[in-house]
This record gives sequence, C-alpha cells and structure tokens, in this order.
Amino acid sequence: MLLIFDDKHKEHLSFLTDTETDVVREFCKISMEFIRKGSNRKIYQGAAQKLKVDVETVQHGVEGLMYLLTECSKLMLNEIDFQDSILTLGFSEDMRQTLLELYLQNRREIRAIMSEMAMDLPHYQNLEWRFDVQLASRSLRRQTTPVVTFKLHIDDAGERETKVLQTDPVNLVHLTKVLDEALQEMKSPYCRRIARNIK
Amino acid sequence: MELSQAVIDSLSIVGDSAHVPNKCYQRLLDAAFDGVVDSEQRNRISGDEAFGGVDKAALKEAYAGLVSCIIEATKHDTEAASLEAVLEDCKFTADRIKAFISSYQERKQILQILLGNVGVTPPHIVDVDWRLDYYIKNNHLEKVNQAVYLISLKTEVPGKPGIQDVQFSCTQEQLQDFVGKLKDATKCLEKISASQ
Amino acid sequence: MEEVDHIIIHSLRVIGCDIEEDVTNLKQFSTELIVSAVIRCLKVINSDVDLPNSLPGGMSAKFRIGTSMAAHIQELGYRGEIGYQTFLYSNEQEIRRVLMFLVDKLPKETAEAVEEVLGASVLLQRTIASTLAQQLNSVWTPPYLKQNSITWRGSPPHWQREGASSLCKFHASHLHIPQGMTDLKRKLPKALRSYYSQSLPYVTNQTVHHNDTSSSVIEKMASEITAQQEWENEWNQAGLASRLSEQEYREKKKNKIRKRVMDQLRQDVQRSGDFAASRKAQDLQQMIDSISSRAGSSTKTKGSRFTHTEQLIFAKDEEKTMSQMGGESEVGQGHSEEEIQNQRDAEVEGLREEVSGLVSRLEQMDLEMRKFTASIQQMEEVVSTQGSTNAEKEEAYTVKKRTLDLLPDAENNIAKLQSVVDGSAQRLVTLANQWEKHRAPLIDQYRELKDLSSKKESEGEKKLEEIKAFRVRMKEVADDARHKDEHLKQLVAEYERMTKDVNRSAYTQRIMEIVSNIKKQKDGINTVLIDTRAVQKEINQLTGKLDRTFTVTDELIFRNAKKDEAAKKAYRHLAALHESCELLISTVEETGVIMREIRELEDQIENESKNKVLSNLEKITSDYQQMKKENTALMAKMKQRS
Repeated sequence: MLLIFDDKHKEHLSFLTDTETDVVREFCKISMEFIRKGSNRKIYQGAAQKLKVDVETVQHGVEGLMYLLTECSKLMLNEIDFQDSILTLGFSEDMRQTLLELYLQNRREIRAIMSEMAMDLPHYQNLEWRFDVQLASRSLRRQTTPVVTFKLHIDDAGERETKVLQTDPVNLVHLTKVLDEALQEMKSPYCRRIARNIK
Repeated sequence: MELSQAVIDSLSIVGDSAHVPNKCYQRLLDAAFDGVVDSEQRNRISGDEAFGGVDKAALKEAYAGLVSCIIEATKHDTEAASLEAVLEDCKFTADRIKAFISSYQERKQILQILLGNVGVTPPHIVDVDWRLDYYIKNNHLEKVNQAVYLISLKTEVPGKPGIQDVQFSCTQEQLQDFVGKLKDATKCLEKISASQ
Repeated sequence: MEEVDHIIIHSLRVIGCDIEEDVTNLKQFSTELIVSAVIRCLKVINSDVDLPNSLPGGMSAKFRIGTSMAAHIQELGYRGEIGYQTFLYSNEQEIRRVLMFLVDKLPKETAEAVEEVLGASVLLQRTIASTLAQQLNSVWTPPYLKQNSITWRGSPPHWQREGASSLCKFHASHLHIPQGMTDLKRKLPKALRSYYSQSLPYVTNQTVHHNDTSSSVIEKMASEITAQQEWENEWNQAGLASRLSEQEYREKKKNKIRKRVMDQLRQDVQRSGDFAASRKAQDLQQMIDSISSRAGSSTKTKGSRFTHTEQLIFAKDEEKTMSQMGGESEVGQGHSEEEIQNQRDAEVEGLREEVSGLVSRLEQMDLEMRKFTASIQQMEEVVSTQGSTNAEKEEAYTVKKRTLDLLPDAENNIAKLQSVVDGSAQRLVTLANQWEKHRAPLIDQYRELKDLSSKKESEGEKKLEEIKAFRVRMKEVADDARHKDEHLKQLVAEYERMTKDVNRSAYTQRIMEIVSNIKKQKDGINTVLIDTRAVQKEINQLTGKLDRTFTVTDELIFRNAKKDEAAKKAYRHLAALHESCELLISTVEETGVIMREIRELEDQIENESKNKVLSNLEKITSDYQQMKKENTALMAKMKQRS
C-alpha cells in the first residue's frame, strides 16, 4: 500500500528536500511536539530566523511532516511501503533513511496518541472480591448463606466508576465457566483464521 | 425464643377448647400458616365459615397470637422441643401441640424463605452474556486488529423487577485478568468447602 | 489376639494403608505390607519423616530403610528391641508389638472431638463448608426458571437463594391486635368491642403489602418485649421499694406524669399568654385599621394583607362594575346613569362609614363591658368583706349588749356568774379526770400498735430484700438454664455426628467382650488355684498322717521285734515297704517335673516355629547371596572405572 500525496502537500514538503538531515531531524522533533502538545508559533519563528526563511514556510514544513507521519502511522505502513511512498517527494537517499528511521522510532507513540482519540467503551479495569457468609439477619437469626461480593472498577474515558455486586457460589461457578469459555474462544481455529486473514 | 405476654395470652386462647373448638383448630392453624406465607390467602380466615360460632374478636386475637408465634419461631429457628414447652405453657393439649409442630415442620423452609426475603443486598449477578468483536479500525487509526469482548453481567436488584445489565468491554488481557480473579475466588470457595 | 489384629488393621486402613479385604490378621502381612504400613504410620505421626512409601529393590537400600525406620520408632519412645531385622525378617509377635505401639501413637481423634465440644466455631465452620460444598456442586439454573430466585436442591429438598429479585426492605407498620378478649373481668367499651369483632382486619391483612406482615409482626413483638423488660427493671428497682401493688404503682406513675405534663402546659400557656394577648391586640388593631382605611379612602394604593384578601373577594364585582363603567363612559351614555352611580357610591360610602362606626362602638362597648364586669367582681369582693366585718361587729355588739343588760343588778349577777364559773370549773376537773382515765389505756394501746407496725415494717423490708434476692436468683437460674440448653444442643449435635462413626461402638463392644472374657478366664484361674491349693493341702495332710502312722507302727513293731522273730521280719518288711513307697512318690514327682518341662519345651518350640526361623533363614541366606552379588557387581564396576 502506498501513500498518495496531493500537490499542495508535496509543495509544503519540498522545502525540506533542500536542507540538511539535521534540519529534518529538528523538524521531526518539532512535528512530534506538535502531535503531542499542539502548535507553537514561537518555535516556528525561531526556526525561521535560524534558516532565514519565512515563518510560513517553516510552518508548512512542520505541518507537512506531521501529516506524513500521522498518515503513515495511521495506515501502519511497513518499511518498504514507507520508503516507496516518500520516493515521489524527491528526498535524497540519506534523507529517506533518516525519515524512515524517525518514522519507525515514533510510530508507536503516534499510534498510542491516536488510539486515545478513538471512541472507547467503558472498559474493565480491576476486580476485587471477598467471600462472606451471612449468618443472621434481622428477620432470620440462624442461616448460613455464602455470598461472594465484588467491587468492579470500570474505566469510562478516564472516569473511574466502581460497582459493588454480589453473587452466590452457584452463579460464581457459572460465571467463571462461561467467561473462561469466552476466553478460549479467541484461541479457536475459527477466530485464529479470522485474525490471520485480517491484516 | 421469647414471646411477649400479650402473645402468650393470645396463644392461650388458641389452646383453650372453650374458645377454639377442636373441629376448628386445624382450620385455624392452616389459615394462620397460609396467611403468613401466601399473599393470596392473607385474608382467607375472614371468609371461612368454619368459624361461624366463634367470637370474632377472640378469634382475631387468637389468630394474631398464632401468627406471631409462627414468625418468631421461624426467626429463631426454634427446635421442636422448646416450641413444645412454650405451647405447653399456653395450655395446649398434646394433640394440638403435635398438630402445630407438624404443620410448622412442613412449612418451615417456606417460612424461612419468606423471612430470608427481608433484607437488602447489592445487585446480585445471576447470569452473564458475552460477545466477541474483532476491532479493525476507527476514524483515527487503521489496523487496530484487536479482540474486544463485550461483557454484560445480568443482575437482579432488590426492589426492581426484571434483570438489570452491567456492561463493560475488555481486551483479551483484561478478560484474562478478570477470569483469573474469578477462578481465584472459585478455588478459594472450593478449598473452604473441602476443609470440613 | 484376633481383636487386636482387627483393631490394628482397621486403624491402618483408616490412615490410608492399602490392605486387601481378605487380610484379617497380622500373620498374613507380607514384608512389603509391613514396611509400607509402618512408614505410613510414621508419616502420620510425624509429617517430617522422609521415607519412600514402598520397599525399594536393592538389598542395601532395604537395609538402610529398615535401620532408619527402627531409629524413627525408637525416637518415638519404643522400649523393645528393634532393628532392620524386625521388619525385613519379621516375626508376628514383634511386628504386633511394634504396630500396636505405632497405632497407639497415632494422633487421636478423641482429642479433636474434645476440642469441638469446646468451640462452636468448629461446628459453624463445618456447616459453612457443607453448604458451600452443596452449592458448588449444584447445577446452574437460568434466572427465568427460578421462582423468586430460590432453587430447591437435594433430598430431602433444601432451598437455596440464587438471586435477589424477591428481596424487600424491612418495612414495619403498626399492627392493631385486640387484647384480653376472653378476659371476663376486663371492661371494654361496647363500640370498641364491636369494632374489634366486625371491622378490624385480621393481622395478616392489616399491612398494605403482604410482604410487610412478617416485619411488622417481628417489630411489634420486639417492642413489646422491650417494654416488658423495661417495666420489669423498673418494677425491680423502684416499684418494689415503693411497696405498692402493681396497679397502684402504675396509677401513681400515670398521675405523676399527667401532673407534670399539666404543669408544663400551664407554664407554657402562662408564658405565652402575654405574648399571645399582644399579638391578638395587634391583629385586632390591624383589622380595625384596614377596615377604616378601606372605608376612609377609595384609593387602592396600599393596604394590609387583610384588605387585599378582602379586595380579592369583592374585587370581581367591583371590577365588573368598573369596566362596565369604563365601557359606558367611553360610549358616552346619559348623564343620569353616572349620577345614579355616584349616588350609589355615596350611599355605599355612607353605609360603610356607618358600619365602621357601629363596629368601633361595639368594640368600645365590649371594652366597657369587660371593665364593668371587672368592677362588678371587685364590688362583690368588697361586699363580701363588708359582710364579714358586719357579722363580726354584730357579734361584738350582742356580747356588749348582754353585759350592759347585766350591769344594773351587778352584785347578784356577779355572784351568779361566780357560781356558774365555779360549776364549770368543777365540771372541767371531773372531765379532766375522766379523760385521764381513758387516756392512759389508749396511749398504751397506741404504743403497742406503733411497735407492732414498726416490726411489721422491718419484716416487710426484710421480705422485700428477699424478694429482690429471689428475683436476681431467678434471673441467674434462667440464664444458667439457657446456657445449659445451648450446651445441650451443641452436645446433641456433636453426638449425632459421633454416631456416624460405627467403629467406635464396635470397638467398645469388642473391648467389653474382651474384658468379660478376661474376667471369665480369671475366674477359671482362680478355681484352678483353689483346686491346687486343696490338693496340696490334702497331700500335706496325707503325708503327715503317713509319717505319724509310720512312726507309730515303727515303734510298735520295733518294740515287739526284740521279742518276736516274726515281728522282726515284719519290721524289715515295713522298712522296705516304706522305702519303696517313698521312691515311688519321688518318681511320681519327678515325672510331674519332667512333664512340665516337656510342656515348656513344647511351648518354646511353638514360639520358635512362629518366628518363621526357617523361612527367615532362607530369606537371609538369599538376601546374603544377593548382597554378595551386588557387592561383586559393584566391585566389577569399580574395577572398570579404575
């Protein structure tokens, strides 16, 4: 799979083809900062003064680089695809290697940041349990009712929610059995085939 | 088991054949037990013609005494022997005591259920549903390729009809953690049950 | 011995030895079985023992295990001779002795049982474990198949809760239960009685929800019992000391409380009286003001709340008329209508003024009336005081008048008066005497009675103390009884569990049998002993008799022998007879000794044959051969190595 660039993007990036690899590295750093924290005009200005170019050009360069990195990370391009994709941008061999290196270095982090942006369902975080035996109540003084009490921690987009639940041994055994089966299901040939085929 | 004087007095009416004739006794007993247990029979005694010749006010007192005695005995899980002693003090004849105790033993478990129904608990898990999804991509990210389980715990909440769901999702690792903890709990219970 | 073997085999089976069913005595034990049984025992006694469960193949290993087993058993305190040979080349008796020792050393179940009697917690633990086991083993049922989250399991069926759908809160409401309906002494208002018999619902039908019936009954019972206890406490502490009957005490308490409430109320009323009065006056003032303002001015700019409400009531009509008026004026109707309206207004105003005037006059009148009633009261008081002074004065006047009447004939009258005075003085003296006479016995009686009453009082006090002590004792005894009941229950539960262990009773039965056997044997031995003693005695007697007769005969014949030839011969014969008889007896005795020796030897032979000497010897030789072989093999290996 190759990444197709539109002309404007190419134009924005073309500024970088004429510079040193160190500059590209610096730009990459700035792009990553951008991805992490958002844009910072001051840095653009500093860079523009150093390179004696317009602020605009620097900004375009950074943004172009950022777009390149995020798009590639989003599609999870492998090395060869990445190299093939940037071939059309007119970078030198050296430059391409640097870019590839930077891409591989930062792909993980970019994906992590992007996955945080994705829609998420309330998900399991932790489970605490304890075993009680109810020995008496106000209306029934002699009984032995075993009860397992759970505290279920659920994380809903950063908000933690705890739920107190309980169950009896019969249902506990059932619960364990059913969920264990669910877990085993993932290891079944059918599911494995699907996981293998969706790449 | 400890009964108040008022209840003992009321029970003495039940024991007295001048107020509760022998032919009515079993009827009264059944009415009292069913009245406690069954909501549809809670007023059965008022329509019963067997008690035509009995003074209604005294009957009401006697009935209340029986009901109190039944509930209190169930509450304390009273043994037949001590129950016998109590009834003897209330001037029950041996036949009447026997009839009472056999009715009591017969319905004891149902009575226990009835009294066990009083109380509050957190939502009680009775079943679980799960769904396995393969998470492929979202608008920010492609090739996520991850198994995601959607777990729905079915709970019964005291005072609410039907079944309430507690839903959450988890990845394979999280489910592993969850199941591991559940297995821990089950093992713990098994250990305790084997330690007799 | 069989019983002992049974017990040993049973205990070994209990601790988990694999002994086949047809093995009934120790004779049938093979070497392997012996070793494994001993090792099992050692492990049960001391879990640190590190020995293999079965006999290894190699001879030297066997030897090592044998010696270490012997060492372990000696450590446990076994006194007898023991070594590897005890196990490897077994002899029934030694093995029996060792196993008996080991079985004796096994941790006792009885000790456990004693512990359980002490702690109810163990019982609790057991019930918990058993319910848990039951629940863990029961099959899961979907919630929609359970009625009220309850399932019935096992036989006889027992319920267990597997959900919470039927739970409800403890909600108690007041129940009304007629009381003392058969008590003829109790007076009950007729209306109440008819309410009880006709309208009051039965106890299970009184709550709104049937669920609440049981909670309500429990609550009612609890409150009644608490009240009862409270009363008992109070009666014990304050009630008995007051020496009133229960009813009187209650009555007194009721009155006391009523009085206190009344006092409180009265105080509050007094305190708030001034305040309320001023408030009332204010209200009145406001009302008057508002009325007058309404009457005085038709402008509706400001008014008290009262006027507002008043307006609201009347407003509709007025507004209607106003709007009508407005409408009419806009249309420009005739003048006369307006005039009439004005006239009406004026009339209304007039009437209102009149009303307010009347009202204020009424108020005034009211005030005056109050004043007048107050003054009337004052006047009445004055009149009554005047009347009393008047009466006093009249009395004084009559006395004075009589003395004045007596004045003219003073001498006579004085004398008369003197005599009258004297007479009355005398009468007084006689009366005083008489009084004295009466008084003395009365005083005596009074004193006596006083003494008596004080005595009675002290007696009463004593009895009170006793009653108190009795009550305390009663409580103590009741507590004790309850404790004992609980203990009994525990013991019964314990006993019920115990009976499951059939072996115990079998053991005891067997032990009893053994004891009775031993007794019988002892009796047999005793009779034999007595017999022997009797025989011994007889023998002694006979020998004595023989000796005596012999000496007598000897002397007699010896004396005659000097004279008679035949007697001489007879004497010689007698001596020979005596000698040969003695020889005979000694021979018999010797035979007896030899017989005994023979028997002893036979016993020994039997013992030795039990020791399996021959087979053991064979085993030893074969083992020796094996050992030799192993040694040579080892030597060969050594040589190879070197």
